[in-house]
Amino acid sequence: MTKKLTILPQEMRRPGFIEFEKIPVNQYNRTIEEEKANFSKADFLRIYRDMRFIREFESMLYSIKTTNAYNGIEYNNPGPAHLSMGQEASAVGQAYLLTTDDFIFGSHRSHGEILAKGLSAIHRLSEGDLTAVMEGFLGGATWKAVETFHAGKGKSVKDLAVDFLIYGALAEIFAKETGFHRGLGGSMHAFFLPFGIYPNNAIVGGSASVSVGAALYKKINRKNGIVVCNIGDGSMACGPVWEGLMLSAMDQYRSLWEGDMQGGLPFLLNVMDNQYAMGGQTRGETMGYDFLARIGAGVNPEQMHAERIDGYNPLAVIEAMGRKLDILKAKRGPVLLDTLTYRWSGHSPSDADSYRTVEEKNAWIAEDSIAAYRARLVQAGVANDDEFAAIDANVIETVTNAVQMAVDPLISPRMDLAKTPTAIEDIMFSNTRVAKMEDREPDVLMVKADNPRVQAIAKKERFAFDAAGKPVSKNKVYQYRDAVFEALIDKFYEDPTLVAYGEENRDWGGAFAVYRGLTEALPYHRLFNSPIAEAAICGSAVGYAMAGGRVVVELMYCDFLGRAGDEVFNQLPKWQAMSAGILKMPVVIRVSVGSKYGAQHSQDWTSLCAQIPGLKVVFPVTPYDAKGLMNAALAGTDPVIFFESQRLYDIGEQFHEGGVPKESYEIAIGEPDVKRAGGDITILTIGATLYRALDAAKILSEKYGVEAEVIDARTMVPFDYEKVIASVKKTGKILIAGDACDRGSYLSDLVRNIADFCFDDLDAPPVVLGSRNWITPAFELEADFFPQPDWFVDAIHERIMPLPGHTPKRSFTDVELLRRSKLGV
Amino acid sequence: MATPIIMPRQGQSVESCVIAQWLKKVGDPVAVGDDLFTYETDKAAFEETSKVAGEVLAIFFDVGADVPCLTTICVIGEKGEDISAFSPAGAAVPLGPAPDSVAPAPSPAAPTAPAPATVPAADGADRRISPRARHLAGRRHADLRAVVPTGPKGRVIERDVVALIDRGAIATPAAGTDWPVGTVGTAIGGRVGVADAAGDPAAVAAPAAAPAPASAAATGLPPSREEKHSNIRRLIAKSMSLSLGTIAQLTYTASFDATEILAFRARLKKAKEAGLADTLGLAGADPSLNDVILFAVSRILARHPACNASFQDDRMIYYDGVNLGLAVDTPRGLMVPTIFRADRLSLAEISREAKALAAGCQKGTISPDRLKDGTFTVSNLGSLGIESFTPVINPPQTAILGVDRLATAVRDVGGVAVPYPTMGLSLTCDHRAVDGAPAARFLKDLGAALENFSLVLAN
Repeated sequence: MTKKLTILPQEMRRPGFIEFEKIPVNQYNRTIEEEKANFSKADFLRIYRDMRFIREFESMLYSIKTTNAYNGIEYNNPGPAHLSMGQEASAVGQAYLLTTDDFIFGSHRSHGEILAKGLSAIHRLSEGDLTAVMEGFLGGATWKAVETFHAGKGKSVKDLAVDFLIYGALAEIFAKETGFHRGLGGSMHAFFLPFGIYPNNAIVGGSASVSVGAALYKKINRKNGIVVCNIGDGSMACGPVWEGLMLSAMDQYRSLWEGDMQGGLPFLLNVMDNQYAMGGQTRGETMGYDFLARIGAGVNPEQMHAERIDGYNPLAVIEAMGRKLDILKAKRGPVLLDTLTYRWSGHSPSDADSYRTVEEKNAWIAEDSIAAYRARLVQAGVANDDEFAAIDANVIETVTNAVQMAVDPLISPRMDLAKTPTAIEDIMFSNTRVAKMEDREPDVLMVKADNPRVQAIAKKERFAFDAAGKPVSKNKVYQYRDAVFEALIDKFYEDPTLVAYGEENRDWGGAFAVYRGLTEALPYHRLFNSPIAEAAICGSAVGYAMAGGRVVVELMYCDFLGRAGDEVFNQLPKWQAMSAGILKMPVVIRVSVGSKYGAQHSQDWTSLCAQIPGLKVVFPVTPYDAKGLMNAALAGTDPVIFFESQRLYDIGEQFHEGGVPKESYEIAIGEPDVKRAGGDITILTIGATLYRALDAAKILSEKYGVEAEVIDARTMVPFDYEKVIASVKKTGKILIAGDACDRGSYLSDLVRNIADFCFDDLDAPPVVLGSRNWITPAFELEADFFPQPDWFVDAIHERIMPLPGHTPKRSFTDVELLRRSKLGV
Repeated sequence: MATPIIMPRQGQSVESCVIAQWLKKVGDPVAVGDDLFTYETDKAAFEETSKVAGEVLAIFFDVGADVPCLTTICVIGEKGEDISAFSPAGAAVPLGPAPDSVAPAPSPAAPTAPAPATVPAADGADRRISPRARHLAGRRHADLRAVVPTGPKGRVIERDVVALIDRGAIATPAAGTDWPVGTVGTAIGGRVGVADAAGDPAAVAAPAAAPAPASAAATGLPPSREEKHSNIRRLIAKSMSLSLGTIAQLTYTASFDATEILAFRARLKKAKEAGLADTLGLAGADPSLNDVILFAVSRILARHPACNASFQDDRMIYYDGVNLGLAVDTPRGLMVPTIFRADRLSLAEISREAKALAAGCQKGTISPDRLKDGTFTVSNLGSLGIESFTPVINPPQTAILGVDRLATAVRDVGGVAVPYPTMGLSLTCDHRAVDGAPAARFLKDLGAALENFSLVLAN
């Protein structure tokens, strides 16, 4: 939505036809003779060598998986091995022209792409650069193993770098501490950032939106290079892949982004079109596109410059990549490549080929890209068989050496969690503070002080009550939304990499007006509207952070988390630890918990996020806490799910004396806060329930003389129990409340731990007060669904401490709770 | 099959008994009817005879141990039988593998599940109590047996223990928890102290000043023997000193003309000799002068309620009936059995009861339930020639009557000195409850009643 573009009926209703360009299919037809102008003999042979490395590496893995041995070296590898035999030419052809500034992302079947890109990088980097990379990587553990093993052999740095690459990837696959990520990534995540090899991904299509985020990073932060996303044809029906495509092809890059920012994303979606989605045949069975390259024509007028290329010929792939690189560098991306190939190895070693005929497979093996390429080179007189045999021998020796090293527990030990029990927990979060991800002037459109929102806020009362204790009117009070805004705009003027996007973020100012004023302050490339594509919004944020930027994205309603399930639960929380702490993830996902809008717009799913290791989860419910926690989230390098409540955007600060400070301050993530002191019972709340708990505390005090201590959790992960334990030691009683449906909620987790930590101090079992295990009904019926003040009193009366003279309105008896459980409601 | 021998429960109010003496030791053969051990409650002593034959396989408690009733204290069976299952929690004396071993060395083999710190086993088996309440009770030694649960599902929660503490149902750590429900605490902070814990709740109202232990050496004489106080002696000592230490008691003496009661007794005697006992329904009743006095007291008290009452800090409790305490001298010491509702009993009935109770005390077979809940006590030292004394009140009673010896007095009848039999009465009253004049009026009425005893019998 933007006023810069008008949509007029005269134009929209005009008759006509949509014209398509022809989509090229396997149009490469050069001979070796012709290519001699483009490739030296060494180039030709290097291409052969690289393909052979991939083939040998995967043959070795196949041998180990199926016979527990390779070249007489025995080893049992229980981990996965998704092999790509047949696809070598596609991988090597793609990597040939890429530099280390160019990033590739991959899939579960990316050994070949990784080795090809790595070998290409080794060829391109100077010996000095290579040495620096190898010595510096993860404290030099991988390099030390390689250097020691090959000491005295007089190997060149480049040869050692090849050993380093083959060994580092293999040790990673074998879950060894000397692997590229200390064995924490494994086969499906054996990437290597210094060579521009970004994460491959165990989730089908998982890289699509992530890699778009990396491309956004490159564009927005003016970085060299393109981003290639390698996924399989089997992922082309995945929703998040489409969402990524849509995000990559937004018109606004050309229509609205300004200055040097105008132009398409440097993004290439390369589909390794090997014909099979595990066992499902894409063309002819599970898809309807006939040619995958057709998809581009449905995405944008440029048809994504899509074409099918012959991935069985490395030179054809290189030729196409050259043309596509030019398009991308000219800011005319994104590009779609349908790289035709064939995997004649099984999906995995347990694949019995039940879905294809031997004849089909043998036909492709007969045209094997490596043998065919070699034959053509021999035929063209580029090299003779002896030269190729020498290359083969070197490849086999290199791979054998790598296996020798990788299976040796002395050279390649596993992470010793007995010796260092915190080895993994230490990298679940980076817990670092980085004020700005890059030190340069941020792109802004005005001096902050001139911003109309900033000026409006300056006139507001920063505490909810005036000197006489009377509430300040909504229009005059500094609101929750102002607090979030203030933290964000401060960071926008500090960290040049910070971007924010999501649905209705620009112009509208976000559905709940948090971003109002940011449109005036920030150019398009720092604040923009995304398509309604939660998977792409969250997934691209992961990629943006991986590449080195800081990002805040928004889910308009908590209920939309499901639309970004893989991205929030599988991508965002995992990469810091899976990369052994190399990747940082400075991502804040603002999630607005709804109310009033019924079953699919009013759910508190905080518990889902809290359950996933690797996410920090906060839910501030006062302006003071919101600003402090947003500042803390923005200063860190960990992914933070920042929950907000739609009930609270217009409230003022009622607790922090002196109101919300104008200057920047942080509240440590993980610290609950006592919002009301009391000695008789503890009430711990998550989210907006705090205010209902305070109302309940008032009833308890006035009617029953019971003084409740009300603690606002503020944060769910991490969570410091200290204050809660101290309170329960004092009161002996605790009720834990929130708006999540109580079954399986984080509330129950708190209860379990408090029952454990405070058992001897408890005067009654800790009680959970969550929402009913129903759909959220209409707003008019919400009082029967979300915990209300009188529910607190009833639950306390029934389960903790009968209150003399109290007649409960709702049943919290065993009988009732058992009945509900039996019915699953 | 080995048989566990439990500490018997002598009366509903008895929580525990003290082992007085072991008559068998581990390894001794036992026949049915053999005496195994003797034991005492606060007020009585008993012998336990064996109902099974065999050999003493284990003894779990030493002499002096205060053992909760129904706890296994020894095991009888055949040599070599496994008795580990019988070892009670908290046994002071462990299983003795060697027949003569009584050394209280803890046996690692004995299962030592700790007894609940605050809730007696016999009481708390199915009680629901929050951990917090339990800990609070444990810290403050609150008497959970008296708690009124107000938590969900009948659970005792913190506030219930707080209420208990406010009510004073708490003890000093040394007093433990093995004391009767309702014991009034007299130690610091209103807690039940060791003294309270050892005593009849009705008999202890104030702490005894700790007596300085007399040193045998201080007398300059060699001690011929030392004898540990029996439980009863300890109780008497405490009860008496507490009474004298805390009650504003003083004694009024008076005498009455005993002609009538002596004549009455003489007639009874004569009637019996004439074989009229059955005819008159007096079989088994041989009312003594003391019985006559008991009867008169039981009737007079109705009109002197202040003397038939309990004195509490903040109130007096008056009783409708009369539970008459009867001081009995026994080899173990003073005991005071109770004739319940003496005001409803005939003289013959009072006489029969008094005899039975005295005999029970003498033998030590009296039920502890008969040793409490008196509202007025009569102590007769007249038969021992005492002319006058100051009986000591049994708190929280407000008065005690001492009966002195018979004597001969003379009366001026028309200028002639006429001798007549007389008897002295020594009434000790708690001046906090009964002023001098009402006490005097009680004595006066009692004297009048005894002087006109045959008329009293009419009511």
